[in-house]
Amino acid sequence: MFARLVAESFVRDPRRKMLTAAALVVGMAVATATLTVALEVGDRLAREFRSLGANLLVTPQSDTLPLEIGGVDYRPVDEGSYLSEANLGKLKMIFWRHNILGFTPFLDVPVSIRGASNGSLATATTLIGTWYEHAVLVPDGTTFQTGASVTHPWWAIQGRWFGERANECVVGATLAATYPGGIAVGKLIYVTAQDTARAQQQTRPLVVTGIVSTGGAEDKAVLVPLAVAQTLSSRPEQFRQLYVSALTKPADALAERDPSTLTPTEYDRWYCSPYISSISFQIRKVLADTDVRPIRRVADSEGRILSRVSTLLWIVTLAALLAAALAVAATSAATVLQRRSEIGIMKAIGATNALVAGIFVAEQLMLATAGGAIGFVFGIALARALGESVFGTPAAPRLVLLPVILGLAAVVAIAGSLIPLRRAAHFDPAPILRGE
Amino acid sequence: MFARLLWQLLRASRGRLAVALIAVISSAAVISALLNIDFDIDRKLTQEFRMLGANVVIAPRQAAQPAEPGAATPTLSASPSLMDSSVVLGELERNHTPNLIAAAPYLYMVARTTNTPVVVAGTWLDQASKLAPTWKLDGDWITSRAEKTRCLVGRNVAQQFHLAPGAQLELSYLGRSVRLGVAGVVDAGGADDNQIFVNLPVAQGLAGIDGQIEIVQLSVSGTATSISEYSAQLSKALRGYDVRPIRQVTEAEGQLLHRTRLLITSMVILILALTALCVLATMAALAMERREDVGLMKALGGSMLRILGLFLAEVAVLGAAGGLAGCVAGFALSRWIGGRVFGTSITPRWEIVPLTVALMVAVALTGALPLRRLGNVKPAVILRGE
Repeated sequence: MFARLVAESFVRDPRRKMLTAAALVVGMAVATATLTVALEVGDRLAREFRSLGANLLVTPQSDTLPLEIGGVDYRPVDEGSYLSEANLGKLKMIFWRHNILGFTPFLDVPVSIRGASNGSLATATTLIGTWYEHAVLVPDGTTFQTGASVTHPWWAIQGRWFGERANECVVGATLAATYPGGIAVGKLIYVTAQDTARAQQQTRPLVVTGIVSTGGAEDKAVLVPLAVAQTLSSRPEQFRQLYVSALTKPADALAERDPSTLTPTEYDRWYCSPYISSISFQIRKVLADTDVRPIRRVADSEGRILSRVSTLLWIVTLAALLAAALAVAATSAATVLQRRSEIGIMKAIGATNALVAGIFVAEQLMLATAGGAIGFVFGIALARALGESVFGTPAAPRLVLLPVILGLAAVVAIAGSLIPLRRAAHFDPAPILRGE
Repeated sequence: MFARLLWQLLRASRGRLAVALIAVISSAAVISALLNIDFDIDRKLTQEFRMLGANVVIAPRQAAQPAEPGAATPTLSASPSLMDSSVVLGELERNHTPNLIAAAPYLYMVARTTNTPVVVAGTWLDQASKLAPTWKLDGDWITSRAEKTRCLVGRNVAQQFHLAPGAQLELSYLGRSVRLGVAGVVDAGGADDNQIFVNLPVAQGLAGIDGQIEIVQLSVSGTATSISEYSAQLSKALRGYDVRPIRQVTEAEGQLLHRTRLLITSMVILILALTALCVLATMAALAMERREDVGLMKALGGSMLRILGLFLAEVAVLGAAGGLAGCVAGFALSRWIGGRVFGTSITPRWEIVPLTVALMVAVALTGALPLRRLGNVKPAVILRGE
């Protein structure tokens, strides 16, 4: 009898339930979309922050003081320590290997360059050996594509990058513009370096394949494949600095502490969180005799801005949930009010308050389930569109949210109709039916 | 008469109106708080990005240096890559904007201490904490750019030469030398760790080149367009010099700002739609309850236009009052959120008040539109309760 009553009430006069249903669908769609986006926004934004480039710097441990001005190391090649290229694949074997987005070795060589035409001036500059896109052999048998394209994404090239093994180079924009006569793409330049091992000069012709603009010291330098710089400076397989771009979690109280003072459980938690401190610790373990330091300018700003933006987004998400709840509650209340005369008739023919409330609550529950489910589907589509427009990739649907959304819809729909139902319970049927 | 009727109407149904008013107020509060945050977020975020330090540099538009055989490290006095500090800094002073957070000239040189070469940077040390907010300092900051007896040393330098705050160090360059006390040790996490920072006059005296600087670093807040406008303005004033944004910082900043902004704005729009729906439903319910009153007034001979006007006025007053009260609550809310998220409060934007109130009134009136249908209902039927 109760079921039939509810079913009848649910099916009859659908226009009256339109408002509640619409509010449920819209409200729950917004709730689903904002929750889906908020759940993955931290990860997405962290990835966006990697456009700032590398956040870890690896240098040899027992090194002389680098004479670095504006990003170029002016130490002679025979001074200071070097790192070996052979171990770099191990970076993709650490615990947080998937968070290592890229790494690029650098080797600076002081050289002089000269244009191909006769009588062109020799000019002192720096030869920067690096990778642009290089396949690194990882010990597990796979290869990992990395280089400056990942760690220095703001480098803009006119022309194309050098080939990995070719005698090609890319010239910094300032150098290309200020060199007497200019340097253009397709030209040949001669690079001369002091060969310290054999105490003689080594010259090599290089084809200019592009002009690079970085806004940094590279604008005044010549960029070549690492292998070319290594041959010119007689430092096979070696480099001076390694820039690593790692996906990290903003530092919290645990990350600030000294790992040696942690208890074993805390240590495990620290080791298994992608803090910048734990990632640099793991890198130091696989690359012997190195000093791994976070580039604080990037790492600190990243952590702070990231945590602030995600707090803000959670607050906005909370506001969206609140607005959804308010909208559903308000429409549910309106629906109950509209049906006062129906309640009056039910009560006049002997229905108890409990029965009336029961019928309404059951009806609201059915409405909430249907509206919530439809809203969830719309919400997934909305989240996809939102993720697509903001981050370029659609947000993946999360089915875990379905019960949460259905529960929310039910609670809000019932809560919204409770107050007017309670008021309805106090009404005498006679005046209502009279229309007063 | 109209006003008195309206007043009576509002007073008589206080209880029912209170519920509607609460709905309007909370909607208006959420909307005004979010709009306030949305309007202010650019400024807040660009301030945050100043953590990244300098984003514009001024450098001489240099000619290529002739090769000097054997000399790998650049020698200073012969270098064409210097500029006259009075010209550049004077022009910078004339083009000052409140967006310029910090600016400092730099002169780099490779001096020697205990016969080991080390990079010395001459700058304005009072700007250091603003130009490099991520520096961690052990010891004291140097707060005056005229201080000539103390310096800051990078962490690696301190390690190499066993220096601590309070220690003494001697710098020498081409026969000249200067003795300085260490005020603090800088942990910068980067190339700065390998440098010694002194005030500009000390470095110029040591190098023997008065009034010369190498580059100027600026930290400019604002959006990507306002930063590039400012650097365009500077480069117009400083012909012959190279004014360029540091691309690593400005590009990432612009992109991140755009994405965050887009995300928050689209969420705010969704919330706006929801709160509008909430007010709409409340007002629709209220209007339906007025059916009997309409019937009665019509029976008493009121013209439909007048009756409708009365009820619409009621709804509009409700929307305006709720909107105003909500704005006050919303500003308090946005202050609190600003304090929690950014550590500083968000300045209230007064243009949000008319915007929110107008929105609330418009939505409330839309919600009351079903009343219009009552025009063709016969009073007798309604009064009978059908």
